[in-house]
Amino acid sequence: MIFPGQPMGRPMGGIRFQLDWTIFLLIGAISGVGLLNLYSASGSGVSGRFLQQIYWFILGTSAFLVVATIDYRQYNHYGYWIYAGGLILLLLTLVVGRRVKGSTRWIGYGPLGVQPSELIKIVVIVVLAKYLHQDPRVEGRGLKDLAAPFALVSAPVALILAQPDLGTALLIILIFFSLMLMSKLKVRSFLVLMSSLVVIAPLTWTLMLKDYQKRRFLSFLDPDADPTGAGYHLKQSLIAIGSGELTGKGFQQGTQSHLRFLPETWTDFPFAVWAEEWGFIGSVVLLGLYLFLIVWGVNLARTARDRFASVVCIGVSVMFFWHVMINIGMVSGLLPIVGVTLPLVSYGGSSVLTFMIGAGLLMNISIRRYSY
Amino acid sequence: MQVRPEQSSFLKKYRWMTVFIVLSFGVLLGRLVQMQLIQGRDYRDQAHNLMIRRVTLKAKRGVVMDRRGRVMVDNEINFNVYIVPRYFPPEAFGKLKKYLKLDDEQSRHIQKKILGAQGDRRAFSLLAVPAITWDQRARLETNAFELPGVRVLTEWKRRYPYGNLAAHTLGYVNEVSRAEIRRLKGYRIGNKIGRFGIERQWEYYLRGKPGFERFIVDVRGRRQNDKRLLRLLGPPSKRRQRPRTGSNLVLTLDLDLQRIVESSLRWHPAGAAVVVEVNTGRILAMSSKPAFDPAMLSSRLSREQARQLYDNPYHPMLDKTVMGSYFPGSTFKVITAIAALEERLANTHEYIFCKGYHEYGRKSAFRCTSKHGPMHFHSAIVRSCNIYFYTLGQRVGMNRLSRYARDFGLGTPTGLGLNGERGGFIPTKAWYAKNMPDGFRIGHTLNASVGQGNVTTTPLQLAMAYATIANGGKLYLPQIVQRLETSEGKTVRRYPPVLRRRVQVSDRTFRLVKAGLRGVVNEPGGTAHNAWDGRLSVAGKTGTAQVIKRERKSRDPRDWWRFEDHAWFAAYAPADNPEIAVVVLIEHGGSAGKVAAPIVMRIVRDYFAKVRPKSNRPGQGRRIR
Repeated sequence: MIFPGQPMGRPMGGIRFQLDWTIFLLIGAISGVGLLNLYSASGSGVSGRFLQQIYWFILGTSAFLVVATIDYRQYNHYGYWIYAGGLILLLLTLVVGRRVKGSTRWIGYGPLGVQPSELIKIVVIVVLAKYLHQDPRVEGRGLKDLAAPFALVSAPVALILAQPDLGTALLIILIFFSLMLMSKLKVRSFLVLMSSLVVIAPLTWTLMLKDYQKRRFLSFLDPDADPTGAGYHLKQSLIAIGSGELTGKGFQQGTQSHLRFLPETWTDFPFAVWAEEWGFIGSVVLLGLYLFLIVWGVNLARTARDRFASVVCIGVSVMFFWHVMINIGMVSGLLPIVGVTLPLVSYGGSSVLTFMIGAGLLMNISIRRYSY
Repeated sequence: MQVRPEQSSFLKKYRWMTVFIVLSFGVLLGRLVQMQLIQGRDYRDQAHNLMIRRVTLKAKRGVVMDRRGRVMVDNEINFNVYIVPRYFPPEAFGKLKKYLKLDDEQSRHIQKKILGAQGDRRAFSLLAVPAITWDQRARLETNAFELPGVRVLTEWKRRYPYGNLAAHTLGYVNEVSRAEIRRLKGYRIGNKIGRFGIERQWEYYLRGKPGFERFIVDVRGRRQNDKRLLRLLGPPSKRRQRPRTGSNLVLTLDLDLQRIVESSLRWHPAGAAVVVEVNTGRILAMSSKPAFDPAMLSSRLSREQARQLYDNPYHPMLDKTVMGSYFPGSTFKVITAIAALEERLANTHEYIFCKGYHEYGRKSAFRCTSKHGPMHFHSAIVRSCNIYFYTLGQRVGMNRLSRYARDFGLGTPTGLGLNGERGGFIPTKAWYAKNMPDGFRIGHTLNASVGQGNVTTTPLQLAMAYATIANGGKLYLPQIVQRLETSEGKTVRRYPPVLRRRVQVSDRTFRLVKAGLRGVVNEPGGTAHNAWDGRLSVAGKTGTAQVIKRERKSRDPRDWWRFEDHAWFAAYAPADNPEIAVVVLIEHGGSAGKVAAPIVMRIVRDYFAKVRPKSNRPGQGRRIR
């Protein structure tokens, strides 16, 4: 039995230590899909964008290995330090960050720029896990007990909204809510949590959003209302997905993406490209891979050795889940358009890094399940 | 494995969470089924609509030639400015206006056209400015980068090398309207359609068959040539089809004669002339004055041009040869004469005394041009005595008169079919009974027998009737097209002369009437004698048709011309062995002998001198005193 507060830092390895091949294969397969799709979406031949993504994958794989190797109890131990580091990074971003398209999200130099707001998701998961690990209540949590985790989450969210990066802030809030729902809540707190959402939503709508954002947000309800403006992307995306039909148009033969009717295919709309070229079959395969990974993560949480590990597994799975749901929901017209990446398929280093680290955590927890 | 207490708080929820996740994925899956499997075909069509452009390759219209193959209408190169509204930013309009040096009215029209395109129409190119000059084209093309969505295409435009020569007969073309596109098959926006004359009547043959080209474009409208993409277009026959040039028409018109006719009419503002071949019914020349400029009508009219055209008191848009119904006046007397002879109600020996008015009704009602004294059949035709023909008409009666008139093709359209041909009108007793407040009266017959009252004809009808007299009773269908050729000049179809019927009139009657008609020209005292040069072999009849009763004459002297009589001369030549029938009408020309007859003489003289091949030119008319 492991109890909280037991000394940390036990060297890795116990009696039963083995690689979790499932995670390995799933991550490999999804990344493969992502690279294949990017190769097609970024035109024929090996483009700079494709090469850069390869580099990020190499970096991401290293991060995966490093994160998986260090015993996760170290992360628990240094949880608040990690959290502090994350916040500093966010602050730095606001101060010295690069400004791109009206928001300051990037930090770093040249092609090595990262978005700390992406990485902070992992940090939030870790720090919440640490908090819940240290505060194991069996009875329900009251509102007061939610104050501390709420505070832990609102700091980074505020900093991210200052950039502004709505999509990421939204995701962190979603992850927070999902984790809180998983821990034992009193009915009353649950209701308060829900009603706070109801209050926050319209406030954000009126105070935080600019007109163009509102339009973009609402265009999913009626993409034809403004087919040249906000609804344009969505309409093109719907046509791309739908016209893929059962078997797709074939690799590199998606007309919507290759004739540029569908813009910015590599960041927000890679699924449309994939669905157009590989059809229903390809789409179902990709969805299946994600579902398998997420359910596998939830299952890991159930069998994890301690509470920290469980919460981390849930957190990472939920992060994958919301990214997939929102991104695919958005490109298929079920949800409003917000810039949320498709895990390991969207182009972008920070995103790749984040999900690789997340997968590394899963792997870490998985291989240490039975080591005592 | 053991369940840790603090873990157990999570445990139940794992299952719920898994269920939630799987259900959420189920929603995505359902959406994919809906989009890709159920609506996939629709989306595929939408994708195709976005990237597949179809352009019509316009067919070149057929050429129209005169009977000797001289081009009367063909095509010339023309630069047209096309705009795709989707790619054309409204700000660029000012630049377009500047480079093309458009005036305000033009630019308003163009702007309206561009803004009028809505929805999917915005992706199709519109003909914004037709027929720009080389200079304008050069300015547009050097500044093309400032004008996205603007293209200058080199296309064919109709050319009328002789300007308004035979304008009503040849017609003109202009852009097909939206309503017509809906109604007719095979027309698209920007196509030209024949609007008048031959261009309209023979539209089906002249227009040819448009081809098309389908190609793939990217979002900017740039053409793609990737082989794999081109496969989406289907087999080559669906990618491109060459347009087929329209058929050429060889008309029966003679360019030289047409010019002679038009130049003979040049001193008169309004009128019509028709020359037909007596033994075939082929129209050699046909002119209506004033004419319009087909080139001008083929493009958009400015408001001022349109006003001038439609407010013109001489009605330039009316083809007077077939659309104008006029009282034939004394030219109709031949019908009365023929009817009376055939019905044995007149003979060549009887004299009827002309004292200047007819013994019917008021003295002023049925008058003659002068007091002719005793008139017999021949002299009555020569001098055009009304009293003689009133008497004959009264004997023949309205219905018989109308039967003979109809036998000569009056009262119904000749069948040329050009320009909504009118049939003129020949009344009957029954018609008067029905339409006149006092019913039928003898006065109606009297009026009709001298071509007044309710009798009207078109110049073409009269020409066909006189041709029938000239050829001894064969009423032909008038013809304007004699041959249809492919664009390479191979004859596709010939149109031989068509005999409508033989008129039921004896040779003797024709002989007597023709002698009279010859006398009109050859004999001193003949109404057209003064116009005769003493040599030309011509026979014919003048007609001075009253337009409106003089009492109703307007007080304004500037309007008096409207009340002048129409001057007719209907003739054929040579008098002995006729080849052509000529009818000239000068609207409000006044005296026929002074105005219309000299024109006919000139036409006939020049026809034999310049138009007709020398090899079988007959001897000049005998000198007859």
